[in-house]
Amino acid sequence: MNNSLEIAQNKTFIQEESFIQKILKNRVLTLGLIIVLVSIFSSISWPTIFPVYGNISVLLLGISTDAILAVGMMILLISGWFDLSVGSVVGATGAIAANLMVLGHVNFLIAIAVGLTAAIFMGLINGFLIARVGINPMIQGLAMMGIGRGMALMFVNTGLVTFPDAFTAIGQSVFLGLKTPVWYMIITIALFSILVQKTVFFRRYYYIGGNEIAAALSGIDVKRMKLLGFVLSATLAGIAGIIMTSRMGAANNTAGMGSELRVITACILGGASMKGGKGTVIGALLGTIFMGLIGNVMIIARVGVYWQQIVLGIILILAVSLDSLVKNKNA
Amino acid sequence: MDSETTLQIKGVSKTFPGVKALDKVNLEIRKGEVHALVGENGAGKSTLMNILSGNYKLDEGEIFLNGQEVHIENHKHAQSLGISIVYQDRSLVDNLSIAENIFAGRQPLNRLGLIDTKKLNAMTNQFLKELNLHNSNSKTLVGELSPAMQQMVEIAKALSQNPHILILDEPTATITEAEVNVLFNIVRQLTEKGGSVIYISHRLSEIFEIADRVSVLKDGEYQGTKEVKETNVDEIIQMMVGRKLDKQKFKTFAREDVALEVKNLSGRRFRNMSFQLRRGEIVSLVGLAGAGRTETAMAIFGADPNASGEVYVFGIKVDIKNPTDAIGHGIGYLPEDRKQQGLFLEMSIEANIISGNLKNAVKNNFNFINEKKITDAANLYKDRLRIATPSVKRNVINLSGGNQQKVIVAKWLMVHPKILVVDEPTRGIDVGSKEEIYAILKNLASEGTAILMISSELPEALALSDRIIVMWNGKMTGELSCSDLEQVTEEMIMKFASGLNN
Repeated sequence: MNNSLEIAQNKTFIQEESFIQKILKNRVLTLGLIIVLVSIFSSISWPTIFPVYGNISVLLLGISTDAILAVGMMILLISGWFDLSVGSVVGATGAIAANLMVLGHVNFLIAIAVGLTAAIFMGLINGFLIARVGINPMIQGLAMMGIGRGMALMFVNTGLVTFPDAFTAIGQSVFLGLKTPVWYMIITIALFSILVQKTVFFRRYYYIGGNEIAAALSGIDVKRMKLLGFVLSATLAGIAGIIMTSRMGAANNTAGMGSELRVITACILGGASMKGGKGTVIGALLGTIFMGLIGNVMIIARVGVYWQQIVLGIILILAVSLDSLVKNKNA
Repeated sequence: MDSETTLQIKGVSKTFPGVKALDKVNLEIRKGEVHALVGENGAGKSTLMNILSGNYKLDEGEIFLNGQEVHIENHKHAQSLGISIVYQDRSLVDNLSIAENIFAGRQPLNRLGLIDTKKLNAMTNQFLKELNLHNSNSKTLVGELSPAMQQMVEIAKALSQNPHILILDEPTATITEAEVNVLFNIVRQLTEKGGSVIYISHRLSEIFEIADRVSVLKDGEYQGTKEVKETNVDEIIQMMVGRKLDKQKFKTFAREDVALEVKNLSGRRFRNMSFQLRRGEIVSLVGLAGAGRTETAMAIFGADPNASGEVYVFGIKVDIKNPTDAIGHGIGYLPEDRKQQGLFLEMSIEANIISGNLKNAVKNNFNFINEKKITDAANLYKDRLRIATPSVKRNVINLSGGNQQKVIVAKWLMVHPKILVVDEPTRGIDVGSKEEIYAILKNLASEGTAILMISSELPEALALSDRIIVMWNGKMTGELSCSDLEQVTEEMIMKFASGLNN
């Protein structure tokens, strides 16, 4: 009897969500729908320019490295953290590998290995200082951003070109009609989508993002998870750096510059929250695709380059406002 | 007539969701008196003071100030009426000087409209001198002061507003003997000038030293006011306690073997805690707020990196560095603050229930999560603990307090701890859920789990425990055995908990 009374009381404040609210709350659905709509609209408007192999191929190639970065960023955002240094890690990794190959005449595999080791090391420093020493992630990110960019400048100066063919093949080959970087993106997304969704290890990041104190008191080693999260983010940035350098056939000191904010934007669009606890790898991919798509369509529509930034800014504000509106209605 | 009434509270009630914090409380404060307000944890003292200082609005009742009815709108309004409060929680900014803190928002300005630092410091030094706090400089940063001195600055800040009524909420919790005297001098200075002081303290001995009259609250109800000269500690304690909770057919499940032993455990807020906990035994750690109970529990659970001492689990010395280690040794901890420390509010009920035990919800060598196993387990506990929800997929935030607490209990039941620490397991939940949680704890004990309970509700501790360990001011002050129905009373506990039996 007591229990039925309680259920009755509960009903008053468990509001049933309407169908529309449910859809609005699912960012993967809404964003996927918008991407489809924009694509249909563009296909009808520019049937000879937008829905053609050449254009789609360029679009996907353009977002491939950002999407790989977005995976790492999304995992950090799920736990309530973020990494501002990924763009610089991209630059530094490519620069180190290029320097070794071009000036040091080192075998390309060794050059890649050294580059990736440097990236992992940068991630370890980030993770150690943030998790164990307690430095604010924002400040640590800014510091490592400067350090990484400085290293990129140091190792490539204004730029390095003429890599071994074996190295450029990594990012310039075509497989089943798609450029290899697009395949790397697909593999990374698929792999991490499964891991993040299914494994105990990655599930812990959702708990940490949901309530860090409660997670620690539930026996989750938050500091260790934090450290590993930053290492993973930097490692993916290192991989992206190698792919980008190979694809471009050149290492320049601005590689990856500004990508950290682009990637954070994509993740937020894809359903992440700066508070943590929310987000999926598929969401990260959709956010990145959406940003690439908007850029692509605006170029086709001959809208000025400056407008792209403005429109993206407005879309971000709209997306986040919609979120809080839907949430407030529920409360 | 020196007994002119300055503040009169008539029939004040205040209800929070699920609790009646104040029920038709009356109180009369005279001009120039020190009026002590006492009561157990949760008796309603803080709520009443928050109404006086404008933080809460009363539901019903009237407040008269010097004979005129007032409706206190907010903190600022209270200040303009001459009511100042010094809270238990500090309200100072560490990176600002003593002067900046005392005159926050009221700094003297020069002709350009900028802060006149010279004047500010001169005012502050003059003020500190009046309070006999000579050895402090107005320019010192508050963060560099000792906790006791910070408390004094807090009081100075309140006094700088020239209040007619000063409310002190546990002012001596962080200060030392010598500073208590300085504080008492300040209080006497204020009352000599005709001001009144409402003095809330758990330390009954202090009340007999400084107060003129003492009023008692119990469960939100006014119990009466006594002249300090005409009463004694026993009478006051008698008024504070006395809630009845049936101690029906007490049954002990305690076995012989010791599950947990703590030797000389010390931390920042407690020291030299040594006790044993046997299998199937329920031991309560009781004491007033700030006695160091939660800190002790957190140290056992590895959540206090600065703790020292030895912990033995089933006779074997263990080194617990973090909660993960503690859980590995079979220790569970149900935290005090459900929402801050216990729940993942925006996650589902099943995600919460499995949160302590993710590793056991896997289906293959890759540690892939078995979602069905989680749902099944959650449903099992939902039925066993009668968690009132249509589905375990619901978010915990939508549940009532009692059901939220059951979710946390379910989480720890799933971990199957050999030793379970429960910190205020029934705080803020309805009576029905309370009874259910008592039954769950008893059942766990019957299965051999050793339970260390922290409770601020003495009747609860008395009804459930085999033994009661009383803490006061970071120390163990008493240990009482209740299993053989010896006459352990709330009065006895309160004496230990007030540090009177030392």
